[in-house]
Amino acid sequence: MRTVKEKIRALLSGREHRMVLALFALVLMTVPLLVGPYAVIVMVDVGLYSIVTMGLILLMGFAGQISLGQGVFFGLGAYMSGIITTRFGLSPWLVLLVAAVAAGAVAIVVGRALVRLRGLIVAGVTLALNLVFCSLVVSLRDLTGGATGLPLIPRLPLGGFAPSNTLFSYYVVWIVAILLLVFSLNLVNSRTGRALKSVNLLAGGSEDTAQVLGVDIIRYKVQVFAVGAIYASIAGSLYAHYTGCIEPGAFGVHFSVLVAIMAIIGGMTSPWGAFLGAGLIVSVNEALREVMPAVVGGSTGAYELIAYGSILVATLLFLPQGLMSIWRRLQPQERFR
Amino acid sequence: MSEKGKQRDTEEQAILEIRDVSVAYDGLVAVNGVSFCVRRGDIIAIIGPNGAGKTTLLKLITGLLRPSGGEIWLKQQRVDRVAPHRIASLGVTQVFQDIQLFSNMSVVENVMAGCHVWTGASFLSTGLRLPHSRAEERNISDTALRKLSLVGLGQKAFYSPSSLSWGEQKRVGLARALAAGADLLLLDEPYGGLIAEEIGRLSQLLLELQHRGITILMVEQLTDVVLDIANQVVVLRYGEKIADGTAAEIQGNEQVIATYLGNGPLEGDER
Repeated sequence: MRTVKEKIRALLSGREHRMVLALFALVLMTVPLLVGPYAVIVMVDVGLYSIVTMGLILLMGFAGQISLGQGVFFGLGAYMSGIITTRFGLSPWLVLLVAAVAAGAVAIVVGRALVRLRGLIVAGVTLALNLVFCSLVVSLRDLTGGATGLPLIPRLPLGGFAPSNTLFSYYVVWIVAILLLVFSLNLVNSRTGRALKSVNLLAGGSEDTAQVLGVDIIRYKVQVFAVGAIYASIAGSLYAHYTGCIEPGAFGVHFSVLVAIMAIIGGMTSPWGAFLGAGLIVSVNEALREVMPAVVGGSTGAYELIAYGSILVATLLFLPQGLMSIWRRLQPQERFR
Repeated sequence: MSEKGKQRDTEEQAILEIRDVSVAYDGLVAVNGVSFCVRRGDIIAIIGPNGAGKTTLLKLITGLLRPSGGEIWLKQQRVDRVAPHRIASLGVTQVFQDIQLFSNMSVVENVMAGCHVWTGASFLSTGLRLPHSRAEERNISDTALRKLSLVGLGQKAFYSPSSLSWGEQKRVGLARALAAGADLLLLDEPYGGLIAEEIGRLSQLLLELQHRGITILMVEQLTDVVLDIANQVVVLRYGEKIADGTAAEIQGNEQVIATYLGNGPLEGDER
């Protein structure tokens, strides 16, 4: 039987996650060999959504800052990658990094303004920012292509080639997603994670206590806002190079709300929740798209919205801490009684 | 020794000085012109009836509130306009009356959170688990376990705070404050809600901490308990200091007896 000290060491070292992570990575790397091309396309979507949702879970689940504006940073990454690579011919990989840093810098400025606001006000302001962002993209037609979109964005290169198949995008997206998952798990099981949880007023934190323990609450809230923005920007850049054409509708309020729903459904107490939330919502979306027209006929959009709403309500009623809580319930009780 | 000499001696030993501090909220004066010194290594009790401004005074010291007048000096540094997390880094921490354990963390994580102030791994280094960050985490977990063992809760490290008794939660709060490595500990009603056995154990623990060189400033309603262990007692009433001295001096102070305690004896009056 392990001592308390050994258990803490195991928790801190990430050993508890390592086996699950290895298995997860192995499954993801073999999935394309077992399924058809359509499923691979769906899995790319899951990967992209998972990256954005993971950033939002750090922000919302750990630091208690509600954001309905992740579409802004997803769009910033996509448009920066799209514009710079098409106009100046710079390396997409380099631009992806530059865009991520730029999105982080924008988030620091925005975050500084938002940090003194609380709860739903932050949600409202970030939602408004998303609306402003989409309007700007449409208005700056010469730069962004306006409402019709920005075409001819180059594929991500591999060495001297630019593989155009979906399989390459699949591996790129999922390798990035797994790397960011490792980063996130390290973060939440550390001094930084505890500082974030200590300021989370939505889940048992206390700003007064955090401050008397030396936590600079403004700094941590701004930093995690920037980290969420960087995740979204990276996903946006990958999305732009994957699709080759971007238009403002993909970065609207609908996207931001959908990501928030994924975070809530997946569970905001662990970065793993991002994969569960994104996986479920994208799968349901695809299933409805396939099945509903055959059964009922008409537009699929309305059914999707009903499905999201129903899943969200059911989750809040029966699994308030999201799908991740099922996993937690299966853990030995000793760990967190 | 002359009066001036005594004053200089006290100031040199002082870890904390409150100089003519006042604060008001919504037009109500909560603390009015309070001054006193806290000597290094002492146990100081601030007593007074509800609404006397005791808790407000602690919040002024930790920087959670800013005084409208006066000065607060901590280790020869003026801190009344300094952010709370910076004051914490000078070696001060507080245990709140309602403890405020983080319910989204286990017991041991709560205590580990107390180590934040003396550690420095950044967002990036913790995310990348750089060697410095790994070593720091090991140090944090060792410290947290030592502090939990000190308060007798080493075996409940992975419990949820909500599953502990009130007395145990108080001990976790104390362990978390000790993990911060503070040499000035501010305790807001540490004895509140404890049973007799726990009261005795807490007094012993506070005396042990004092022996280790930690200065304790506590606000308390249980006057008989604190008079037993405090080196200095400050009495507040309606935000003003009405007495300051040793337990014996306070017990014999006519103003305290007349205005705060009535005609009864000081000992046990508020239990």
